[in-house]
Amino acid sequence: MLEVNSLTKTYDTFDFGPVDLTVEDEVLSILGPSGSGKTTLLSLIAGIVDTDGGTISLNGDRLNGCPLQERRTGLVFQDGALFPHMTARENIGYAATDRDRITKFASLLEITDVLDRRPPTLSGGEQQRVALARTLAADPDLLLLDEPLASLDAPIRRRLRRELHALFTSLEIPVIYVTHDQRTATALGDRTAIVRDGAIEQVGSPMAVINRPATRFVARFTGNENLFDATVVEQREDTTLLRVGNIRLQATTAAAAGTTVTLCIHPSRIQVHTPNGGDDCHDENTASGTIDRWLTEGNEYRVEIDLDDAPITLTTTIRPPSFDQLPLEAGSRVRVTIPPAAIHLLR
Amino acid sequence: MLPTKSRTDVASRRFDWLTVAFLLGAVLLCYYLVPLLALVLSQPPGVVIQRLTRPTVVSAATTSLTASITSAAIASVFGLPLAYWLARTDGRVKTVVTAVVVLPLVLPPIVSGMVLLTVVGPNTFIGGLAAANGLQLTRSVAGIVLAQTFVASPFVVITAKAAFESVDRSLEYASQSLGKSRLTTFRRVTLPLAWPGILAGITLAFARAIGEFGATIMLAYYPRTMPVQIWVSFTTLGLENAFPVAVILVGIAVATLIVLNVLGTNPLE
Repeated sequence: MLEVNSLTKTYDTFDFGPVDLTVEDEVLSILGPSGSGKTTLLSLIAGIVDTDGGTISLNGDRLNGCPLQERRTGLVFQDGALFPHMTARENIGYAATDRDRITKFASLLEITDVLDRRPPTLSGGEQQRVALARTLAADPDLLLLDEPLASLDAPIRRRLRRELHALFTSLEIPVIYVTHDQRTATALGDRTAIVRDGAIEQVGSPMAVINRPATRFVARFTGNENLFDATVVEQREDTTLLRVGNIRLQATTAAAAGTTVTLCIHPSRIQVHTPNGGDDCHDENTASGTIDRWLTEGNEYRVEIDLDDAPITLTTTIRPPSFDQLPLEAGSRVRVTIPPAAIHLLR
Repeated sequence: MLPTKSRTDVASRRFDWLTVAFLLGAVLLCYYLVPLLALVLSQPPGVVIQRLTRPTVVSAATTSLTASITSAAIASVFGLPLAYWLARTDGRVKTVVTAVVVLPLVLPPIVSGMVLLTVVGPNTFIGGLAAANGLQLTRSVAGIVLAQTFVASPFVVITAKAAFESVDRSLEYASQSLGKSRLTTFRRVTLPLAWPGILAGITLAFARAIGEFGATIMLAYYPRTMPVQIWVSFTTLGLENAFPVAVILVGIAVATLIVLNVLGTNPLE
């Protein structure tokens, strides 16, 4: 288990921490924008950078002041950091002279065919596999990965994401995976930590972070574009009645009547219907509007809808089958339904 | 309506600035090459070879080679650690130290000789102490080595520094995170990757040392190095008698360029 307590580091233009973090034998994704302190956190834990304050412990042993080579911390860099003058086999063998161990990890990461090639002749995906095999061959007690998939093409990244999740889970050691890509973070991490300005804003399961963001920053960074002020009309037994303009919404999160709260609705959780559709939905969470514009984003459509009864524009994402069934063009009339469970309240 | 002029016609009449640039540069290239060819071709090869075997020439060549190899070795022993330190250090101290390293390169060699004389001359503390222990720091091979090391060692430091800097630090971190010590990391990762650049620096330092004249003549007129022998032959017997040694030095210069290009890391390019 990795325990980080009150970790701080001060640079000329950037203050990191204090950061507290506990990582069991699990995968923790560190998600944040560029310059938020993700790599600093990794560098401090790895021992590349000296800490100014706080403690780092791994399985009960304090790592502060311990040289990098004695920390038993596996590091995988964004570019792999393979030794270019050695073959893939020599790179893996650099950490493990045992031939069986080289074969085992080469086989595990499906790089047996490229073992006698040098890094510059390998593809990006192959280089990352070799880098991971080399790190795992050293039998680390902690695995730190700094955006190893960032420079790879999308199809390879998707494939490696699936493979790595299974691999990391089987390691039974703390794994910290740094990324600025929300999809990678949620796909790989058992938990996700959102970092901003050198501090951790929220730690939780990927779904909790996406659906129950703690702050506006976390909400925006995880794709929750729909943030609106609402007035709490009534607090009922299981639900809270809210009002945005003339639209009444039920939410499952409790809030005191009369207060103003910020609504947070993830675009993927909003349902879009034809003007007469959505009859089976609760009236209070349904509204009519006009499509302002839409654009293709990856394999889904992003649609912006101006609501009739409130001065807000709702952003939704729609998958192709649903999109094809709807007359979705700029100016088209639609009805939207927001399930009560999809409404999260920020205070 | 069909166009009357094709784009190719227009392009072919366009003023070719690149050719003009080359023609202007060619004047300078001729200025480099013609004197060298004149030197090599001015004497029949048989005469040059005959003069090369003269005792004064052989002695000067031996002294120069011995002193230059020693200077290059000393520059490497002390220059490579300094180069590594500079490559892995940040901040103002690095800027100051780099400036100090570059100083002998921009200092006129004759001034370098004067500077050295104030420290290791016969009437100085260090010079006197060395002489008392049987080591002459002037008018000796030691004096030549001191002069050559002063002017040539910056080539090792600056070139090796660039070579070390070209080795990504993440490779060193990766090595250390795999449980290897700093020394093992340096030996197995940093040094092999920086080696062509380091060798280029040592080669340049050797070439600079063997051609050193200004500082050497201040510290050690005797024993004569090849540049000093050229000067003596020219002033006493005329230009023709200086040719054989000059041809050797031209040969060493050409060999240096070949070595640098074979290494693929010519820092002068």
